[in-house]
Amino acid sequence: MELEELQSAWTQLSNELKHQKKLTDEIIFNMTKESYRNKFRTLLNFESFGALICFAYAIFIILNFTKLDTWYFVVCGFLALLFSIALPTLGLKFIFDIQNLDILNGNFKQNILNYTRAKNNLLRLQQAVIASGFAIFFLMIVLNSKILSGKDIFLAEFKASNWIGLLIGLTFMAFFCRWGYRKYKKITTAAEAVLRELE
Amino acid sequence: MRSDEVFTNLIREHQALLFKVTSIYTDNKLDQEDLFQEIVYQLWKYFDSFRNESKISTWMYRVAMNTAITHLKRTKKRHSAIPIVDAVLSVSESKDETYEERLRLLYRYLQLLNPLDKGLMFLLLEGKSYKEIAQITGLGASNVGTRISRIKKKLKINMTKS
Repeated sequence: MELEELQSAWTQLSNELKHQKKLTDEIIFNMTKESYRNKFRTLLNFESFGALICFAYAIFIILNFTKLDTWYFVVCGFLALLFSIALPTLGLKFIFDIQNLDILNGNFKQNILNYTRAKNNLLRLQQAVIASGFAIFFLMIVLNSKILSGKDIFLAEFKASNWIGLLIGLTFMAFFCRWGYRKYKKITTAAEAVLRELE
Repeated sequence: MRSDEVFTNLIREHQALLFKVTSIYTDNKLDQEDLFQEIVYQLWKYFDSFRNESKISTWMYRVAMNTAITHLKRTKKRHSAIPIVDAVLSVSESKDETYEERLRLLYRYLQLLNPLDKGLMFLLLEGKSYKEIAQITGLGASNVGTRISRIKKKLKINMTKS
């Protein structure tokens, strides 16, 4: 098959499209309505909701920081604050980067590069969050039991049922993190290949 | 004529253009429907800022292609998409089998290209000159020429392989 044959197929397609059924005014107007808009808005809402929960948790930690009375609780508290403030803030920033591309006047190549970079950053961040889910889960158990019931989990004596619960939770998190990390790795590798080809 | 009337006429007049952009940047009908709506939305949003500095079709190509490259694939959950009449988003059901086969191959080869090359090839197939392609994409005309000859080589290699 030759390039000319591709061109002739495209020309024939263009000719056939001239006889398409025409869109009605109603359909066109519905498409211009904000309420029908798609995934970035959904994604932004989803991320914003997640970020709100994280920020609320950060406030909870800050308000109760005085209850963290040993050096290891203080370290856990700072790590929890880092996770719950920095990660969602970065996530929202990358989504805004994607949304703020100049669709009207932007250079096509630059837009593709900016979009792919921002998308890749977002995916890498989500990958990092999932991979560190194990640590976040551990921090939350340690901090919540200290703040809510004054227990030092590092010194507490565990009953068999506690051990079983912890083991199930950690096993689940380990599988979830591994699955999530691998899933994202595949997508980010593809995005990076596009970037390499364009740069 | 009222501006909304001008807009609907414009979309109707250029719906084939929108169909073609959406068909090369998506790989299924649901995504295509989503992208079609998103492009119409973006055109509507920027319609008042069009200042006749370029041809209206140049402006439409630019907005449509810039929207297409930033479009996210549909998630599994179906959202409130508007059912666009089937005839508008269906590739022709011609009885010409040679044409059907060529069209199928054409889409397959285009899908193998990166988003930038796909866009340049699309504009070339649309019969645009290098100068017009440069205007639409914001690339330099000589850059367009170099890239297009590279894409042609790439396509030839893919065609020889299959």
